[in-house]
Amino acid sequence: MASIASSLSLLSRRQMLASMGGGAGLLALQAMLTEERADAAVPDLCAPREPHYTPRATRVIWLFMHGGPSHVDLFDPKPELIKYAGKPIPESFGNVMTRRNVAKNPLLGPIKPFRPRGESGLEVSDFLPHTAKHADRLCVIRSMHGDSVNHPQSVYQMNTGNVLMGHPSVGSWVAYGLGTLNRDMPAFVVLPDPGGGLKGGPPAWGSGYLPASYQGVTMRPGEAPILNLAPQPGITSQRQADAFSTLRGINREFIRRIGDDDQLQARIAAYELAFRMQAAAPALVDISQETKATHRLYGLENKETAEFGRRCLLARRMIEQGVRFVQVHSGDTLGWDAHKDVLSNHTKYCGSTDLPVAGLLTDLAQRGLLDDTLVVWCGEFGRMPMSEQGKGRDHNPWGYCSWLAGAGVEGGRAIGATDPIGLRATEDKVHVRDFHATLLHLMGIDHMELSYFHNGLEERLTGPQTAHVVEAI
Amino acid sequence: MMRVCIPLIFMLVTALAKGQKYQELPILKEDREHWSFVPIERPELPELKEDGWSNNPIDIFILAKLKRAGLQPLTKASHAALVRRAYLDLTGLLPDYREVTADKQYEQLVDELLSSPRFGERQAQFWLDLARFAETDGFEHDKVRADAWQYRDWVIDAFNRNLPYDEFIRKQLAADEFEEDERIATMFCLSGPDMPDINSQNERRHSLLNEMTSTVGAVFMGLQVGCAQCHDHKFDPISQADFYRMRAIFQPAVHVVKNQSVRELREQGEPSKAYLMVRGDFDKPGPEIKPGVIRVVATDDPIEIQKSKSGTSGRRLALANWMTDKRNPLTARVMVNRIWQQHFGTGLVSTLSDFGIMGTSPTHPELLDWLAAELQYQNWDLKAIHRLIVTSATYMQASEEDEIYRKNKLADPDNVLLSRFPRQRLDGEAIRDAMLVAAGFREFEMKGPGVRPPIQEEVSQTLLKNQWNVSPDEKDHYRRSIYIFARRNLRYPLFEAFDRPDANVSCPQRQKSTTAPQALILFNSKLSLDLARRMASDILLTVRNDEDFIREVLRRCWCREPEPEVMEVARAYFIKNRKSAQEISLDQLEKVTPIPLPADLSIREAAVYSEFCLIAFNTLEFIIIQ
Repeated sequence: MASIASSLSLLSRRQMLASMGGGAGLLALQAMLTEERADAAVPDLCAPREPHYTPRATRVIWLFMHGGPSHVDLFDPKPELIKYAGKPIPESFGNVMTRRNVAKNPLLGPIKPFRPRGESGLEVSDFLPHTAKHADRLCVIRSMHGDSVNHPQSVYQMNTGNVLMGHPSVGSWVAYGLGTLNRDMPAFVVLPDPGGGLKGGPPAWGSGYLPASYQGVTMRPGEAPILNLAPQPGITSQRQADAFSTLRGINREFIRRIGDDDQLQARIAAYELAFRMQAAAPALVDISQETKATHRLYGLENKETAEFGRRCLLARRMIEQGVRFVQVHSGDTLGWDAHKDVLSNHTKYCGSTDLPVAGLLTDLAQRGLLDDTLVVWCGEFGRMPMSEQGKGRDHNPWGYCSWLAGAGVEGGRAIGATDPIGLRATEDKVHVRDFHATLLHLMGIDHMELSYFHNGLEERLTGPQTAHVVEAI
Repeated sequence: MMRVCIPLIFMLVTALAKGQKYQELPILKEDREHWSFVPIERPELPELKEDGWSNNPIDIFILAKLKRAGLQPLTKASHAALVRRAYLDLTGLLPDYREVTADKQYEQLVDELLSSPRFGERQAQFWLDLARFAETDGFEHDKVRADAWQYRDWVIDAFNRNLPYDEFIRKQLAADEFEEDERIATMFCLSGPDMPDINSQNERRHSLLNEMTSTVGAVFMGLQVGCAQCHDHKFDPISQADFYRMRAIFQPAVHVVKNQSVRELREQGEPSKAYLMVRGDFDKPGPEIKPGVIRVVATDDPIEIQKSKSGTSGRRLALANWMTDKRNPLTARVMVNRIWQQHFGTGLVSTLSDFGIMGTSPTHPELLDWLAAELQYQNWDLKAIHRLIVTSATYMQASEEDEIYRKNKLADPDNVLLSRFPRQRLDGEAIRDAMLVAAGFREFEMKGPGVRPPIQEEVSQTLLKNQWNVSPDEKDHYRRSIYIFARRNLRYPLFEAFDRPDANVSCPQRQKSTTAPQALILFNSKLSLDLARRMASDILLTVRNDEDFIREVLRRCWCREPEPEVMEVARAYFIKNRKSAQEISLDQLEKVTPIPLPADLSIREAAVYSEFCLIAFNTLEFIIIQ
């Protein structure tokens, strides 16, 4: 099938070079120039490109837990928190900035017990019994931190590197830097939660100031995986094929009359591609071709896990077909945002995601895909050690967890640490921009080199501040 | 009356919080030698003998360079092509075919189009892109800004009444200081994204001020002053202090109240002190700063700030007056370049909002200066500049291939010399409007709150609940694109597919991508089919045989008589379509018949009419301006 990604974007070379400015966007620029030598007619913005150095990951599946999963209840065991539960936060912790003024509230102990898992003994909470079985594959970063206590800013920061809206998402940067592996597939696909949108909405997977070709393409299970893929009811495929060949004939006359150019050719190619997609895309999302065992592995036979499981399975099918970057969202507009009651909220969201995530890891491993596929799990922030409304927790961007698996990342270990109650990252701190620099590094990209000249600035995913690749990973 | 003079050239050396010094670099003579900072002088016209081609001075500059490259301009486009081009370009609408065949001078047509209210509606979209305009806040709640549509209507009206550009600037920066009735114009400054519920309202105000200062610098002056908010500009002689001096001009007029969206600028009380913010951090005020303008652009005279009659500080009016002073080298150059880009697809300076060191140099520097001088000489009359450009022989060149075209394309592949008219694809708003006109919508209601035509459920699902409540009156679904509600977190899908910018930063020029989803949306969307069905019905009111129907569809879409080869292809389609219609259930066919279905037509016969209109919307010739 084909896509936005292989769609031919039509910045003229002159525009393109101008927009890249002096010596910037080296990677993409070189690629464009090579491309042009090969095919002077139509520069294809999504052609595959060489990374800066040998990548460990050629593809990414990013599981985004929207709303902010509680690190102290899932991946960051805090015995001290059990000890001090019910008491106010010790004064030694100083002032704490929170979204909902919970700084003075009593501490809330971990909701469920943690246990050492696998050979490594990495501790994972009882909320996630299935994921826990993969403990030896997980590299948990316990010292994540970001800059905003608000959802949309943090959603934007985690997805685009900037707390303000309008910046290209990580997937768009990767598509810009590396192109697509399969010319008939988008480089960056997003599988949104059908329950509702992210706080901050579509800009979270937008291409910002990069060309639209790098934008995340939302796809969904079912008969209409991409918007407007199928003709309107009443136009059968035969009749559409007739219409299409008529269009072709008329356009041919037009070009004969006014003369050919790249732009016209690109549009004709885009139509051809669109037409091919109509046939191919439904097959891609048709999971009935998968075995019963696979269905079971992803929890498709279970009402609670079927929906998220289906999207995890789709994610695997996508990367198998050469999609570079797939993002799977869990959580409707509120999602993991457990202000009121962590137990009920996380029981629901762990319940719907735990088995499918474990199934995905198993499946990727048994197909040999895990070797060069990076799996990322995180939310936009974690949650406070203090309670809110008794049994809930407020947002915590000052210290939280993410994990990585696959792509040769050594599992069964935790990197960095928060303070004894899980409030702030303290050891080997990993800021969101360091996290991004590390992801790019794993994909063979130097975050300082991947840039785009826009409005007078050399823009990068990691922004103007210094970002560090986490060496331990 | 209080009178404060601000020395423009001074160096700021102050101790910062941690003992570092901020030292402002002086502006050197060389800094002012960059082409865009040099005063505008009307250049001599290049000498050319009676050339038999030029219509006005623009052509003399263009021709001189063409000749130097050993090229000659293309022949004039056909009258039909010119009518279509001028209509789409100046009004964003297709002409009625009768306009194409009418016996009217092109120059007269241009005058009519410039006086049409449709002109302001078209111009407004360019300006709203620059103004990063949307009718909602963005971020999590993306709340509606109840009055935002009034700013959109003000812009449309300003272009229609040909408000001189200097007034246009003054009102958007400072209407409250001298023309209270048009205060809404200052919404320009606050049209960007904002998060009213953010915890730190100090941070919110800081972001708004910085964003506003950056946008004003980029839009009116073509300078990326925003690059200097955290540190001195890396390439241009714009210091961080310059940035915060300019910001100090706006500071008294921006007030935020938690959970309330921003509206227009409004000053309250005496201005508070302003500071340079260290590393652009809202929490780290550095040395105190006085209001002022970007030093490298300024002459050595101080700008005068006088308290306004309404008691405001007068700072913004002083800024606007400085920008529109004829000695300001940037304002006129930047604006004529934007107008040029609208008509030719590329500016004489291709970086429309960056006239600094990192921007590109003008391809025709004398022409740029001549136009800038002309804009000032014409007392900032924007329509006069549009008229000059669209009646130039340069603009009236053909874009069809012939021998000269091939030669010019070879020698001038990127059309830098304007050796032919550049073919351009319509933007999404114009595509939809063109479809409306083709479908027979002729009367367009103006003004009022944004409307919400239906969108697919999969799209509205990515929003919070009730964020795209479809307008109840179906008539509203067929209004011009400029009146469609501009939600920051969701662009109308057709517009988004065709590169509408996201309204988070000022957009001087849209990308022109060509993607498969564009094909999908034009071929398969409900919107396209619905308008195709209405178009078929509208044509069937007067035309009943297939031959005439085909001809009328293509006349409407292309503004010309289709050639026999195309008629042949179309006839063959009608035959095939009618045949396959025999094998399809009436239930299915009913979904594609013309709306309304003429009483004397059977469902089986009628489907082909709509489906052919749908094909016409997808032809290259429909969405290309030639």
